[in-house]
Amino acid sequence: MTVANLKYSKSLSKFQSLIALLILCIVLSILTDKFFTAENGLNVLRQIAVNICISVGMTLVVLTAGIDLSVGSVLALCSAVTAGLLKNGIEIPAGNLWIGFTLLGAVLAGLLLGFLLGCFNGFAITKFNVPPFVATLAMLTIARGFTMLYTKGHPISNLGDSFAFIGTGWLFGIPVPVYIAAVVVLVAVFITQKTKIGRYIYAIGGNEQAAKLSGINIKKVKITVYAIAGALAALGGVIVASRLDSAQPNAGISYELDAIAAVVIGGTSLSGGKGSVWGTVMGAIIIGVLNNGLVLLNVSPFWQQVVKGSVILLAVIIDKAGESKD
Amino acid sequence: MRNKLLKYTLLVAVIAFAGYKSVYFKKLSNIKQTAAGQFDAKSFAKKIWTDQLPAKLDSAIELAQLLDSIKTDPDAAFKKYSNAMAIGNYRYSLVKVTGMVTGVYEDYIELQITNGLSKINVATEFIYGNAIRDASKLFDVKDFTNSTDLSNISEALNGIVKQEILPSFKTAVKKGSKIAVIAAVEINMAHINLNNLELIPVQIKILP
Repeated sequence: MTVANLKYSKSLSKFQSLIALLILCIVLSILTDKFFTAENGLNVLRQIAVNICISVGMTLVVLTAGIDLSVGSVLALCSAVTAGLLKNGIEIPAGNLWIGFTLLGAVLAGLLLGFLLGCFNGFAITKFNVPPFVATLAMLTIARGFTMLYTKGHPISNLGDSFAFIGTGWLFGIPVPVYIAAVVVLVAVFITQKTKIGRYIYAIGGNEQAAKLSGINIKKVKITVYAIAGALAALGGVIVASRLDSAQPNAGISYELDAIAAVVIGGTSLSGGKGSVWGTVMGAIIIGVLNNGLVLLNVSPFWQQVVKGSVILLAVIIDKAGESKD
Repeated sequence: MRNKLLKYTLLVAVIAFAGYKSVYFKKLSNIKQTAAGQFDAKSFAKKIWTDQLPAKLDSAIELAQLLDSIKTDPDAAFKKYSNAMAIGNYRYSLVKVTGMVTGVYEDYIELQITNGLSKINVATEFIYGNAIRDASKLFDVKDFTNSTDLSNISEALNGIVKQEILPSFKTAVKKGSKIAVIAAVEINMAHINLNNLELIPVQIKILP
């Protein structure tokens, strides 16, 4: 292969997600006239906002060669706690005291809880050398159990108009969740590309031993990354609860799979050190467009799962083929 | 050193401001007093159960007749005999059956209906969902300001069945008992399957 060919091949692989998205959009536009409309575009963006928030956190984790399977359950617990605090506050019978939470307070409490659960994941992984898969799988079950305990298996509903604005409101013709997702993406891009910790994340994923020898505090970086993933899952939970005007105890089931799918389709290597937040955004959009297209085409939900799984498999095969060429 | 001090002072100020804007305090007794004046689903459900439900039970349709109607003209049958408060394909009807108990299990009893229909199950343990509330046709969504109240009504109606109707029945029923049941039944009108129906009892008696 000549140098020119190699350069061409590399730049093509850099834009493979974008190319795949364009092809998907063209095909769907041909197959259904309902697809290529502004209304449907905004609908897709609103639907994927939650997945983008979670996937961005997942990208940071995967870049360090880790994985976080707990995001769906963390989302459910944090959305339940946010809704519970907003609606019921905290009772302290001993002091005849009731602590009420404003919208800001409830949302911050939810995000803080997500952050702490992420810290716990990171702590278990770094301090006790528990494999990320196992540590976060345990958290998946623990967080879901706490959600059921906290909600007693019932949804927490009627959370008020101002809370509903987060998930259902519009600003300048664009849904509010899209703005939230955009801010998350921009901050994550800044962190990964312009800060020390961003470079550390890539370094750890690329070669953890080398990163350690060059003086990077591996534990601190990993705990931070899992904490960010937890907080972003919590943010996703706030948006979901707000959209539904209800925190559901079974919210977020299998969301981790959609997030991992977005990360993988976006070109981030599961072995760490390679990938980008923009790629993940592209991956999330591809999944969102695919979901939307399959619904518009009236494809059975059972076949939708088959198609989604096949696309993820194809993305990994292409990624692996690209890696072996490098 | 000075930069660090400034940084931490700023951080503490932001946290303090966020905390100040996040929580507020009230006396718990005052909150409970206010809550006491709000909708009491249990009392409401109990009143409906005593005052209005008996008339509805009297007009419950025979299960065999309902199934025949669905087989003949599903749209008309669902429209006439069923109800649902939520959007979706699940519809609920109040039905009555008599039959002989052919099996007593931990969670349900198996019933051979008198007129020769296939066996059906009557739930005796897990009484949940909105079947009784919706099948009774006694509630209108417009009368409620929030969905929690409606969910609580379902829970209260199910609670009455669990606590007042089933315990004495469960201790007395045995294989071979002849029973009469008035129950709520759920049927998916998009995917009609009349073979594995489960009845949620509202009134259940062992016949002499």
